[in-house]
Amino acid sequence: MPDWIALVRERLLPLALPPKEIQEVVAELAAHLEDFYEEQIGKGLNESEALQRTLNEIVRWRRLARNIQHAKHNEETMNPRTKQLWLPGLVSLTTAIFSPMAVAFMRLGDLPQNLWLTLLPICGAAAAYLSRRAGGQRFDRIVSALFPVGALLACFCFILLVSSFATVPFFTLSDFVHYSKWAIPQGAALLLGALPFLRTQSGGTHSLS
Amino acid sequence: MTKRIRSQIARGSAELAILALLAEQPLYGFEISKRIEGKTGGALHFTLASLYPMLYDLEKRGWIAGRWEPNHAGRDRRYYCLTPAGKKELAPLRREWNFFFQALDRLAGVTNA
Repeated sequence: MPDWIALVRERLLPLALPPKEIQEVVAELAAHLEDFYEEQIGKGLNESEALQRTLNEIVRWRRLARNIQHAKHNEETMNPRTKQLWLPGLVSLTTAIFSPMAVAFMRLGDLPQNLWLTLLPICGAAAAYLSRRAGGQRFDRIVSALFPVGALLACFCFILLVSSFATVPFFTLSDFVHYSKWAIPQGAALLLGALPFLRTQSGGTHSLS
Repeated sequence: MTKRIRSQIARGSAELAILALLAEQPLYGFEISKRIEGKTGGALHFTLASLYPMLYDLEKRGWIAGRWEPNHAGRDRRYYCLTPAGKKELAPLRREWNFFFQALDRLAGVTNA
């Protein structure tokens, strides 16, 4: 009878797992091949035929090694929180920041504040849509749409904190309040864009994944 | 003659098949593949290459747990059993497949085919 452990270990070489796990996987697959081989012998095949049929169980060892490695260790490239909140939020933030630059690049001149506000609903809509598509709850969709406002307020807080340690404060609390007022129309514009995507999608469908 | 169900459907149903089998009793890999083949009259067939990545994936998700034990012949085999999380997962999975088959039946009349 072949040395199943040696046979499997040799063919599963590309498997990049901790040694203990490799040992366990090799032992388990070797045991399976051993059982399969003995079953073939029990069916009346000679040793050579039984061996050939057993080896036919796995044609692509490299693919098997890759699949085992993926099954044992690889996580999804993004977890649900990232897909439902952080990524849509980043899209909203990026489009909100770069839309004035894009307009300037198209030689349409500097974007007036009011015109920029009219673009913000698109940013909010994009974020809410992406969040909903990834299965995000209503809260996730709202937060991801309002991400630019959150980032702006966080920046002001940071500047206020740094300023408080400076010998001559360059950003006072009244500045903070003054600039934070900008966040209200921006937030409203972003939320306006997100509104159509805040409704729960109609049920009745099941997906089998 | 039983036709082999196309691989995509077989792969999709593999989770349910494995969890349902392990709900009855702990089994090791070779036994799982034999039971599935036997109980489905050969319609579902898992080779080593398709079975173990699936088992490891289910184990990683915490639905099944494996432990080494001697089999009836005294050889060490890795037996898998359903965990409480796996038991919890099995019921909705059964309902989803039932819903799916009913929907397919309404659409294509598969039970009368």
